[in-house]
Amino acid sequence: MKLLTKSTFYYLFFSNLTIFAGVVLLYLAIRKDVYRQIDDSLVTEKEIIQDQIEQTDTIPDFAVSFGHQIVVQLMNNPLHEFQVINDTIVSDSFSRTDQPFRYLYYAGNTKRNKGYTIRILQTLSEKKELLEHISLYMFLLFISLFLMTILLNYLISRKLWHPFYITVDNAEKFDIQSDKPLDLPETNIEEFQQLNKVFDKMTRKMRSDYLNLKEYNENAAHEIQTPLAIIRSKLEILMQRKELKKESINLIKSINEATTKLFKLNQGLLLISKIENLYFQEEKEISLNEIIENCIDNYKEIMQLKKITVEMESNDPAIVKMNKTLAEVLISNLISNAVRYNIDDGFIKCSVNRGFLTISNSSAVSLKTDPEQIFRRFHKTSENPQSVGLGLSIVKKISDTYNMTVTYTCIGNIHQLRLDYNPELNPD
Amino acid sequence: MKLLIVEDDRSLSTAIYDYLKMEGHICETAQNYKQALFKAADNRYDCIILDIGLPDGSGLDIIREMKANKLTDGILILSARGSIDDKLTGLNIGADDYLTKPFHFAELSARINSIYRRKSLLGLNEISFNEIRVNTADNQVYVNNNCLTLTRKEYDLLLFLVTNRNRIITKESIVEHLWGDEVILTDSFDFVYTHLKNLRKKITMAGGKNYIKSIYGFGYKFSDS
Repeated sequence: MKLLTKSTFYYLFFSNLTIFAGVVLLYLAIRKDVYRQIDDSLVTEKEIIQDQIEQTDTIPDFAVSFGHQIVVQLMNNPLHEFQVINDTIVSDSFSRTDQPFRYLYYAGNTKRNKGYTIRILQTLSEKKELLEHISLYMFLLFISLFLMTILLNYLISRKLWHPFYITVDNAEKFDIQSDKPLDLPETNIEEFQQLNKVFDKMTRKMRSDYLNLKEYNENAAHEIQTPLAIIRSKLEILMQRKELKKESINLIKSINEATTKLFKLNQGLLLISKIENLYFQEEKEISLNEIIENCIDNYKEIMQLKKITVEMESNDPAIVKMNKTLAEVLISNLISNAVRYNIDDGFIKCSVNRGFLTISNSSAVSLKTDPEQIFRRFHKTSENPQSVGLGLSIVKKISDTYNMTVTYTCIGNIHQLRLDYNPELNPD
Repeated sequence: MKLLIVEDDRSLSTAIYDYLKMEGHICETAQNYKQALFKAADNRYDCIILDIGLPDGSGLDIIREMKANKLTDGILILSARGSIDDKLTGLNIGADDYLTKPFHFAELSARINSIYRRKSLLGLNEISFNEIRVNTADNQVYVNNNCLTLTRKEYDLLLFLVTNRNRIITKESIVEHLWGDEVILTDSFDFVYTHLKNLRKKITMAGGKNYIKSIYGFGYKFSDS
């Protein structure tokens, strides 16, 4: 949930409670006032009548007023004096509906000790209506006030948080490999200034660490080349000796194997760092079809040896603008993978279509790990411990460089790599 | 062949020197830019093996200097950098070939021989080994004057073997020579074996002797002993 939504939500909740309580209290207060007023007027009327009765012993000739009835009765015997004021419902003979009334009932005695009763009814329906209207207006006023505050709160918050969102947006777009500075918005809010400062410092540090590490890796890979060359050359000279014993031969053999592996590893890392450093700048229009065909031709003998059948299906010329060496490395890594993990009498199927190509192959196993994992450096499967685990990571690096996407799927024992070579046709 | 090895790393320089000397070449070494420049100006070599990254200058400048003086010695660039730029520049300004460290001696030897053939043996592009003749001009192989039908890879393999005759050649160096070092193929050694088997069969069918020997643990050797 967004901060803004959340704060508005809380605001809404609590002001709702307040408004509800406020309206109820107000209603009760007004009601109480209205009742007191009615009661007061009932008592006043009663007192006027009482005065007259007590002084003249006659019933004043008040007519029954509209919605306001007075009934006075004189008795011959004295009554016990009491007074009650209460609500009642009276059926109205005109409209035949029940109407709420307030009534005062008084029983008293005249000076000549004769009892009399006064009953005054006063309709409540008008007052009630008034009460309801006042409450409704109050409620509407509160609601509009409330909506206004929410809107204002929302607008102000949005304006206040604006620099924050820009900062987050830019931080999201942050690319450690590019040297574009993190573009943080100017703000006069102290907290955000602090945030931007921290972000700026952090990204600078990250970049410089990254560059250091990258440089270190490259230098290490380069510096390893010469000592490796020395080991390799001395080994080859050693191999040429005639007086070698079998033990020494085995030793030399395993040293040679390890050196070869180290060499391959270093070469792969160098290639990756070269791609990262944009060594392969020269681009031209090339046909992926042609490259695939050349590559298949290069592995022809290996495929024949394993009795692998190759099927090539071309539905598109697949012209891309990229560096030729990289295109060759890309395709050759894909094909060599398809050959390496294949089985005897297996198959490889290449299909070139508009915007994408697929290379699928049969295999002895199905992949159990996460498909994304196979593009990571040094990812290895137990089936081929000899592999240095850089081939597909190089493929990924190259496809990333040209905004292509490479995806891997495995259905049963059939593995498929799909390369979306035209970023403009990419759905992403 | 007379060769000049320009390499600042003494250990590697000695290794190359030893190996090439074993092959019967006359070798001289230079450890830095100045030395190399003097030697290259004063003597003629069939091939100069030139490291680009020298402590006191770039090997590329030595090539420029030589070309300015119209010296036509063969030049093979060695580089640890392996960068495309270096490679293109080197070849553009007149180097004959380019090899990235670390390399196999068999590969080095094959490259030097190839430069030598191109440079020195004009019109005589033929290497022979007893009854086998390899014509590098039209890529044909003759055994007792019978022309062999070889695939491209078999031809490359035979030429590689013949240039490195009497030396042990590792399986790795054959793989790298035939498929390039960009490709990381680990199970291709069986395949080298199959190629060699086919090649051996073709040579013996044409009446040649079996010169391809398996050397336990290391690889192969092309020799008649």
